[in-house]
Amino acid sequence: MSDADANDGTSAVEPVTIDDGMVDDGMVDHAVGKKLGVGFWIAVGWLGVLVATVLFAPYLPFNDPDKLAAGPARTGPSLDNWVGTAALGRDGLARAGSGARGALGGGVRAERAAGPARTGPSLDNWFGTDALGRDVFARTVYGARVSLVVGFIAIAFGMVVGGSLGLVAGYFRGRVDQVISFVFFTLLSFPGLILALLITSTFDRTLRTVSLTLGVLAVAPVGRLARAATLVFAEREFVQAARVIGAKHFRIMTRELLPVVLIPMAALALLGMGVAIVAEGGLAFLQLSVEDISWGVIINDGRGIRDLQENPHVALMPIGVMFLTILALNFAGDRVREYFDVRETAF
Amino acid sequence: MKQFILRRVVQLVLVVFAVTFLTFASLNLVGDPLFNIVGVLSGIPDEQCEAVARGEIPDTQSSGLNMGDCALIAQAKEQNNLDRNVVERYGIWLSDMLSGDFGTSFVNGNEISDIVRERLPVTVRLIVLAQIVALGIAIPWGVASAYRANRGFDKVSTVGSFGLLSIPNFALGVILLYFFALRWQIFPSRYENAGWWSELQALTLPAFTLGLGLAATYQRLLRTDLITTLQDDFIHMARAKGMTDRHIMYRHALRPSMFSVITVFGVNTGALIGGALVVEQIFSIPGVGTELVEAVLRNDPPVVIALISVVAIGFVLINFFVDLMYGYLDPRVRAS
Repeated sequence: MSDADANDGTSAVEPVTIDDGMVDDGMVDHAVGKKLGVGFWIAVGWLGVLVATVLFAPYLPFNDPDKLAAGPARTGPSLDNWVGTAALGRDGLARAGSGARGALGGGVRAERAAGPARTGPSLDNWFGTDALGRDVFARTVYGARVSLVVGFIAIAFGMVVGGSLGLVAGYFRGRVDQVISFVFFTLLSFPGLILALLITSTFDRTLRTVSLTLGVLAVAPVGRLARAATLVFAEREFVQAARVIGAKHFRIMTRELLPVVLIPMAALALLGMGVAIVAEGGLAFLQLSVEDISWGVIINDGRGIRDLQENPHVALMPIGVMFLTILALNFAGDRVREYFDVRETAF
Repeated sequence: MKQFILRRVVQLVLVVFAVTFLTFASLNLVGDPLFNIVGVLSGIPDEQCEAVARGEIPDTQSSGLNMGDCALIAQAKEQNNLDRNVVERYGIWLSDMLSGDFGTSFVNGNEISDIVRERLPVTVRLIVLAQIVALGIAIPWGVASAYRANRGFDKVSTVGSFGLLSIPNFALGVILLYFFALRWQIFPSRYENAGWWSELQALTLPAFTLGLGLAATYQRLLRTDLITTLQDDFIHMARAKGMTDRHIMYRHALRPSMFSVITVFGVNTGALIGGALVVEQIFSIPGVGTELVEAVLRNDPPVVIALISVVAIGFVLINFFVDLMYGYLDPRVRAS
């Protein structure tokens, strides 16, 4: 979760003290009444469209993300291509020479015979096609499936594990708190991406491992927020009242504290999902992410110097979609945070 | 203050132990270290080699072994203390590391301390440059937007900083590479180090890639703090004395408004280290990140462990010094 720290800085830890939103329109909202604003709904709308597209992608008239353009096709050995070309029109010898790495779309390595394939954006291929003639739009849509699932699972894991640990630490305090806080502190002492790299390199690179790895990264920031919020609320009258009438610890934590602690966590969840999606992309750049297409993988495929020179849209189009998505998540998260901070002061 | 430092030192040492042990143990327990050194020979069952040692069967092809296989295994185990348990091995590794002996690579036999000595300075220069870019942009930007808060420039810059925070650093890297190195060819697209000037040129785009997002983070914090500071009495006093706005902003308001920025400085250095891994890939910079990724891909645990430990310890130390500085600047921190 390296970017979590960059993106929201200490706001994740101390949402109230460092919240520049409070300075400008936070005040206005407070006076006029609660509203999330048009921008919030635009952001949510974009996310909704994206999720719907991703869910129904197989039923929508999109191109096949793995289908190669009808093109140069295989040719036998000739003077130009001694070993012949493979299905992708690449020189077999050069390809054999380039070694076992041979990742599809490796760009510089995968040199194509003169052929059609790469084209810019058009009516058929909205985002154009890549070096192998695959439709970039379809790939972006299918890549979104992996990216969004990773983002969602990661933050869900962080919320469940980090949230419960933080709640327990903030409620019981003392020794328990010291131990849990030390665990959080240790987790935060790893630069996020390095911890992710450590985990994905020791285990495997399935969707589950990558999601859970990023989930582990989310544990400490979410947990610290939950702990801080619990510390504040555990002193409130409604908790003391519950204690006086003899409620058990578990009941106080789940019925009294959890609902109020969830509010600041919800805002962090939206921001955190964006961070997880970005982190997955970072892992993809290190070739340590899922062995499937995700946004990071697509952008990484199109970033070779030669690819960028000849067909910048292969990388730039998915970057645009990814940017809009992160922007929407950040904006929605920010608005939710402001919205509930206002309500919190009105308790 | 003394007690504050002491407590932080204890915490520092504990965290360094935790971080290095976690790294060491995870890379030693998952997978077979013996396999990484001797390859398929690790498949030879222990009993067979024990039988060879007792002289019951010969260490030759007739018993399914090659000449000296068992000797090789024994040597590998001996050298890397593989017969001991993980905790003991960790102890040996740690004491070696503390005395400057990082061990050698399993794959190419290079001294790891040489790798660190060669790669670390490049990454450190990149990160320092990125922080300079970030602060160099964020301070004037924060001052300008706080000077007339909520007016035209501030509103535009709020949108701008929000946008910058939403661009993943690898995406920004690709965009900068495309426009500044390939399209307009202002900066080189590949790292080259023929003197400090060429290196500075080669590191400029990566530093901006890392620094721009950070600048937006700093700008937002600085702007908020500055707006608060500007409402203080001593600012009104300075204004009443007839000082210029520029003097007030930079000489009076800026310093007491830097606390939040200093706080996140340490945390963000960690983010920068992670970002540097990725950015080094994009601009093919031979830093710790590229070496780490190569070591992971060629399955070379000693190098991975050593590099991760060096980076993590560096990160912990930076945060330690930031905490100390913060405690020094703000007396309230020492009490808590």
